[in-house]
Amino acid sequence: MAEFHKADIEKLIDGVLPWPATQDIIKSPKDSDRFDKYIEIMQERVTFKETILLPLTPMLFIVSADGARVVKCRCGHDFGDYRTNWKLSSLIHVRDDEASLGEIYKGREMPDPSWTQLREYICPGCGSQLEVEAMPRGCPPDFEFLPDLDTFYSEWLGRPLPDSVASEDKTLETIADWSAAK
Amino acid sequence: MSEPSLKEQLAAYEALFEKTGHLYGYESLARKESDPGTYEAVWHILSNICNAAWSVGCMASTSPVAAEGGDALWALHTPTGDAICVSRGITAHPGLLADMIKNFIRLGYEDHPGFENGDIFENNDPHYGGIHTPDFDMCMPIRYKGKLVAWASSVTHVNDVGMAQPGSIGFLNPNVFADGLTFSMEKVGESDRYYPWYDLRIRSRTRTPDYVLGDARGRLAGCITIRERLFEVIEKYGLDFILDASKEYVEDSRRYAVSRVRTQAIPGRIRKSQFKDLAMKGKRVLDPSQDIDCLFNLPMEMTVNADATVKLSLRGASGTVPFGQNISPTALKSGLLNGYSHIVGFDMFNSGPTASWEVEMPPSGSWANPFEKDFFASSGVAWAPAVIWMSSLYEVFGRLFQMRGFVEEMAAGAATTMTAEFAGQTQLGMYLASLTLEQASNGSPARGYADGENSAWCIYTPNADFGSAEVIEGYLPIMYLGRNIEPDSGGYGQFRGGLGHTAVWMIYGTTGIDYQCGCAGMRSKVLPNHGMYGAYPTWPDRPSYAHDTNLKELIDAQKPLIHERGPAEDPTITRIITARQMEDAAIAPFITPEPLQNYDVILHPVSGAQSMGDPITRDPISIEEDLNKGWTSRRVAEEIHGLVVKQESERDFIVDVAASEKRRQQIRAERIAKAVPFKEWWAVERTKIEARENMDEAVLHMWRTSMELSPSYGEELLAFWALPDDFVF
Repeated sequence: MAEFHKADIEKLIDGVLPWPATQDIIKSPKDSDRFDKYIEIMQERVTFKETILLPLTPMLFIVSADGARVVKCRCGHDFGDYRTNWKLSSLIHVRDDEASLGEIYKGREMPDPSWTQLREYICPGCGSQLEVEAMPRGCPPDFEFLPDLDTFYSEWLGRPLPDSVASEDKTLETIADWSAAK
Repeated sequence: MSEPSLKEQLAAYEALFEKTGHLYGYESLARKESDPGTYEAVWHILSNICNAAWSVGCMASTSPVAAEGGDALWALHTPTGDAICVSRGITAHPGLLADMIKNFIRLGYEDHPGFENGDIFENNDPHYGGIHTPDFDMCMPIRYKGKLVAWASSVTHVNDVGMAQPGSIGFLNPNVFADGLTFSMEKVGESDRYYPWYDLRIRSRTRTPDYVLGDARGRLAGCITIRERLFEVIEKYGLDFILDASKEYVEDSRRYAVSRVRTQAIPGRIRKSQFKDLAMKGKRVLDPSQDIDCLFNLPMEMTVNADATVKLSLRGASGTVPFGQNISPTALKSGLLNGYSHIVGFDMFNSGPTASWEVEMPPSGSWANPFEKDFFASSGVAWAPAVIWMSSLYEVFGRLFQMRGFVEEMAAGAATTMTAEFAGQTQLGMYLASLTLEQASNGSPARGYADGENSAWCIYTPNADFGSAEVIEGYLPIMYLGRNIEPDSGGYGQFRGGLGHTAVWMIYGTTGIDYQCGCAGMRSKVLPNHGMYGAYPTWPDRPSYAHDTNLKELIDAQKPLIHERGPAEDPTITRIITARQMEDAAIAPFITPEPLQNYDVILHPVSGAQSMGDPITRDPISIEEDLNKGWTSRRVAEEIHGLVVKQESERDFIVDVAASEKRRQQIRAERIAKAVPFKEWWAVERTKIEARENMDEAVLHMWRTSMELSPSYGEELLAFWALPDDFVF
């Protein structure tokens, strides 16, 4: 089993590891401690102190915060329970006409706004563009990943988390609350 | 006691897998454990045999598609059909070939007509597992000292199969009756020779019979190569070893796929929506029912189970279309091996990984399961929606690999596949209908640590190759005026997708030829994907052409010609060319309204792939390099990447890094000021949905069919927007 220096993994993440060393990582059997090293690197790069349970994206993390599992941006902005699509707690900017799409796509590049809209999800804390969706009107936002964290930690990593949470999608519960408050 | 029939063996293996979770019930890999060196060596020998078959087969083939494009594949199978190893070539096919052999076994062909050395069996019928009729799937049993010990198989994509429209990308076929010549699970030859009727039928029912028959001989030559070489391997290593090891390679590969998921991914539910347009309203079609625009819903939901197996669902897939873009569940599942092999299980590429995943039966009546409700639906280019759905695996697994820290395994979204096919008289005075294979060389997806590669990747083959321009010019009445990297064609992100290229062709040497800009997985009305991790997706596929042009006058006057597309708002074609008929940004796919003539011009773009990451986090020096190579524009650098740029000369840009950092901070603040809380947008958006505001009929029809065919999907959609239960789009 290969093992790589944390410093090299950091360079790989930043896209600055020289190609021969990158190739070495690609070709070698995978290092079994990668997840822990990755978490360690990410933990050093975020502004918050809570323990990262899972890097959901390079910018968003599921963290353990006072017994709850919430999604946080690198900047520390809290998006709430990881079982609710974090996009519901995000800022959104939607391009659904030629004027706004034309800021990105010019002339022949322009998609048809009656077929598609471009949704930009922005972190309220730092202004990072976290995801972009191109979908027709009517499509709910993708809930990209609902992890089974307890299975992962207990059965795959062999070190159960101190508490256990049912892995169920709670997005529609939030929507129901919004709907009731209409 | 006599040996069980192949049908009995197949059933026994399925029962053993059900019982043990291991293929063939192999809870240990005895040959591998006792003699790992020989096990590994024989694997490579068998792989090389398949690659030798590819070389022989392509050399013996005659069509440009096989001989120059290499759109073909050869494989070696166990007696019960599992692919053991495969050649280079089109990796979408091993699953189809394995299923075809199993179908021959299940249908009782072992009893009648029997399986003998030299027998040739074929299928290209989508109703029985074929993907589309131009892909001729073939297999030959291999008997050694009387015992059936293996199968050789092959597929080639032929130039023309007698579809209603010339060529092989049958997106225009309104129904199965336009799909052309079919061989429906047939024995087409024996003693290493095709029957005389095979030759006669192809001559009377296809437009380019010499090419089609040449490719048939190529398939045969490759399969015979596999058989004869396999005999040598058996003589050297012994039959028992080969029979045992062959099955172990397949189980080994299944284990690899499962262990890779377990050690490099995360259990849970992952979702990714995808959409694909097919806008044909007002265009040249074959049937009045086709004067419509369509949008496909291609949702992927993948569950990674606790045991590291994977379940895939197409819940929400939209309905069938009156075009050749419907696919059978069998072909869909087989084709899935292509994507899975790219991203998960590629240590030993064979049937093994198919046992590590399950595909839920797609909704009946959807594009992915058409025949129960529309038995005569066409599959002329069934691959088109399937490949887009399957391409979601890149991003889906890319996200999982990132979460586990395996950044080097990540990939953003795939490129698109827009084909160029010509039909008409060539410069040699003969009729030809043929693909150019130009599309087999996209940009590759952005990686987690670097940009994608330019023009070096293709989703359906690991051997991306757009063929030699000079060779293509020999087959077809076209001349290359350009073949250029297309700036900014890889989306905009921290790491950009590999860039695509644009071929610029001048028609020359014909009395008239149709240009069919085909859909084998492209998008022209909608953006081709989401933007992973905040990147902007690439633009839609929009080719250009000009008919009845002034190009000859320009040549005679030695004036500048057209060699590239130019900026989106100042296209070269409209600046340099005058023509009676011109489309700068045609909505694809289409067939030119009139046959093109000499000196007509086509600009055929082959897409780049998707980016990943927020564009204002892209390394300024990488952008400076792109600017100086002409791979990005100053507008994109400034307005999308947030750079402050000085231009010293045409190819001498300098980025002011400090000023750019300030500008990027400003952009972050502007974004926050401009965006609204999701809840606020949701409240307004749901009223627009309820009013069907600015929603094309193609969008509304897609939602109607998706919700009707998958009621639970519909219920979730209505609940998300808090729409009434009886709401219909």
